[in-house]
Amino acid sequence: MIGINRNLGFDRYSGLYLWASLIIVFSIWQPRLFPTSATVHSVAANRAVAAVLALGVMIPLIGGVFDLAIGATANLATLSAVLLITNGHSIAVAVIVAILIGALIGAINGFIVVRLRVGSFIATLGMASVLAAVQIIVTGNSQPRSPSNSTWTALTQTKVLGFQIIVLYMLIIAAVLWWGLRHTPAGRYLYAIGSSPEAARLSGVRVDFYTWMSLIASGTLAGIAGVLYASLSGPSLSYGPALLLPAFAAVFLGSTQFSPGRYNVWGSILAIYVLATGVKGLQLVTDVVWLDLMFSGGALIAAVAVAGGRQRAGAEAKRRELVRQEDHHDRSSMGEPSAPAGEDG
Amino acid sequence: MQAADMSTPGALGPSVSTSALRIESLTKTFVGGRALDGVDLNIAPGEIHALLGENGSGKSTLIKVLAGYHRPDPGSLLQIGGLDLEVGSAHSSHALGARFVHQDLGLVESASISDNLAFGPGFPTKWGTIRSRRTRLRATAALEQMELDLDPGALIESLSPAQKTGVAVARALLADSVPDSGQPAGDVQLLVLDEPTARLPDSEVEHLLEIVRTVADRGIGVLYVTHRLDEVFQIAERASVLRDGVKVASEPVAGLTRDALLHHLLGAALEQPHRLNIADESSSAAGQPKATLSVDRLTSDVLTDVSFEVFPGEVVGVAGITGSGRDALCATIFGARARDEGTVHIRSEILPARRPDLAMSRDVAYVPAERKLQGCFLDLSARENISIANLRDFWRVPLLSRTKETAITKRWFERLGVRPREAIGQPLSSFSGGNQQKVVFGKWFQRVPVMFLLDEPTQGVDVGAKAELHSALFDAAQEGAAILMSSSDVDELVTVCDRVIVMRSGRIADTLHGDQINVHSITRSALGMAGDVVEPGSESANAVAS
Repeated sequence: MIGINRNLGFDRYSGLYLWASLIIVFSIWQPRLFPTSATVHSVAANRAVAAVLALGVMIPLIGGVFDLAIGATANLATLSAVLLITNGHSIAVAVIVAILIGALIGAINGFIVVRLRVGSFIATLGMASVLAAVQIIVTGNSQPRSPSNSTWTALTQTKVLGFQIIVLYMLIIAAVLWWGLRHTPAGRYLYAIGSSPEAARLSGVRVDFYTWMSLIASGTLAGIAGVLYASLSGPSLSYGPALLLPAFAAVFLGSTQFSPGRYNVWGSILAIYVLATGVKGLQLVTDVVWLDLMFSGGALIAAVAVAGGRQRAGAEAKRRELVRQEDHHDRSSMGEPSAPAGEDG
Repeated sequence: MQAADMSTPGALGPSVSTSALRIESLTKTFVGGRALDGVDLNIAPGEIHALLGENGSGKSTLIKVLAGYHRPDPGSLLQIGGLDLEVGSAHSSHALGARFVHQDLGLVESASISDNLAFGPGFPTKWGTIRSRRTRLRATAALEQMELDLDPGALIESLSPAQKTGVAVARALLADSVPDSGQPAGDVQLLVLDEPTARLPDSEVEHLLEIVRTVADRGIGVLYVTHRLDEVFQIAERASVLRDGVKVASEPVAGLTRDALLHHLLGAALEQPHRLNIADESSSAAGQPKATLSVDRLTSDVLTDVSFEVFPGEVVGVAGITGSGRDALCATIFGARARDEGTVHIRSEILPARRPDLAMSRDVAYVPAERKLQGCFLDLSARENISIANLRDFWRVPLLSRTKETAITKRWFERLGVRPREAIGQPLSSFSGGNQQKVVFGKWFQRVPVMFLLDEPTQGVDVGAKAELHSALFDAAQEGAAILMSSSDVDELVTVCDRVIVMRSGRIADTLHGDQINVHSITRSALGMAGDVVEPGSESANAVAS
């Protein structure tokens, strides 16, 4: 009994164990720099945007649709918000317009995928390029100045329990998505579409509608992520596309956690922060610039490979266990004096 | 152990004495329990040996062990053509001369027939380049041998299920039947057919059986797995029955009766579900009950001008050979396939084309023939498979009620006898085919439909499960639901239907009532044979069976 629990725990929560061991290792290695509240707060806040983007990527991915334009969308939203504010619009207007831009791009992606029947991979890859072009048109390819507006920066940098409030926003978004995906019909339909679109259609699921909605949701989340980034770090011409791979990496890694085999909210969030912890720790040890890229990519491949192997090995171990138990059973039923096996020590 | 004295089979005497297949005390344990337990089986060269068993009885596992896919528990003896099979090695299985046609045919859907026929034995090449003309010729020859009138360049995905089965059988026999393929004429010892007729219409079944006989005449042992008892009597010399992984019988067919076989299969006398006669209903027909389904001049790529009605409480069968439109009718009505013309009404409400969701809102249920692709979600749990079409029942703002969902899934598991009973949270892929189909039915029963559209509803389902599904359908009909059931299993139509529509070339060729509903007249009508001339040849098979 204990053995089984331990097994399950290690498969489904390996990310938590990994996270704990990373924290312990770096705390011993860099005792003065790593285990500090400043480190915790900065990692939490700096990765919040990536976490929101990962959640955005995850929604259409559950339904079997890729949104590769999400980084470009977020970037465009960031620059739109900044430009609107520097041109004298109110913060409310800037936030709403930037998020709507994200939603609109999602809607266009949905139109291309659902109505024009272009594969989502191609459609959003093309859209990412188009958005990069739009961004150059809008900005003239020069980075706009940061708005010098304290309310604007306070939007994400207000402290709550020592953390910047952006961390709270991210957690609220995650909670809402967790509810929507796990506890509402819409979420179920999305998982069903991802499992078999034709079976879903024949079970009465409006596949086109939900596919479209999932892309609008990812666009909207990209818009939100863009606004949060603009307020947290100011304008940037290139951060968005650079966050695309980490977002996908987190979602794939996350699908090995909590409910293995399924893309899920808390798995994705966990993956973001496990990777962030590893990168942060290594950055304190050495300050080479390629760490983040190397760590995200390598961890993605390694973790997914290990998770797959572990599941196969687990199934084989259970089978052997069963054979052994049956043998015990057979022997004792044949009248041989066999000890009750003491749960095999 | 025995391997030592078996390594020199030639010394033991003439090859006549070596079995095509010899299995002793084969046991295979899975995570969930024992799939096979001490099974013995012996097939002589040239013998056709039927293997029967309910879903989950271990038939598929046995075959997968033979194919080298599963590794049996230690202590099992497996010999093909007198030589030890290296367990868990597909290569060894093939080298010893075992050939397989699996239930999941294992064809590459997006490739052509000739490519599929070349994947096993290899493409004929010249300097590394595929000689396409030769590949094509070889495919043509193989198809001709099966008398399949198909273009070798056609993609598998464009074929009907029956045609796909034909191609799969052709592929299994290929290396043996085409000696000039550049391969050594593979010495086939054993052909294993896993429910080859599950998707075949009767006309093609007869044809397949002939091919199987030819194969056996060449001295090849045939292990023939089937759910259709009639075929056992038509073709097999001996029959073995598996129940819960244990072999319960292995007898010559000559001494067997249908009842004896059923007894072996089920372990108890089978209670055939008989529905109450709907005579009382037709007597009330004076009051003109309103048709549940009325189809008017329905036309699509494979249907022409199809009009008929189905009344409440009626079970209407759709028969027809492959390509007759039989396999497209239900899908077209439901909206799974496109229509060109014609209207469909459910209780006077119109059913628009290509809108399964609207069809469902009008209380129509549809069970597609291709279960794995269209009927269910293999990587979702059984619970989610049942609830997916019924989420409104479980939606208690702001949450889906997990408790109610589990309770209802449990109810259908018990009602339809889905096994294993406690696995409601497991992915559907971990269930056997028959149990998956029961889960699909549970999903629809939960909606209490007024109209059931069923394509091959009991395909690949064992006798016991079939009876359970039928009786559940009869209960629904008793409650006033109308049922339209398309099936290539004519026996099933005869057992279940009040009326049978026979399709031919996309049109309704005949409608059979009452006494007209028998295997013989349905088959004749489907093939378009006019008149009442009784051919003794085609009768004899059924006579033996009964």
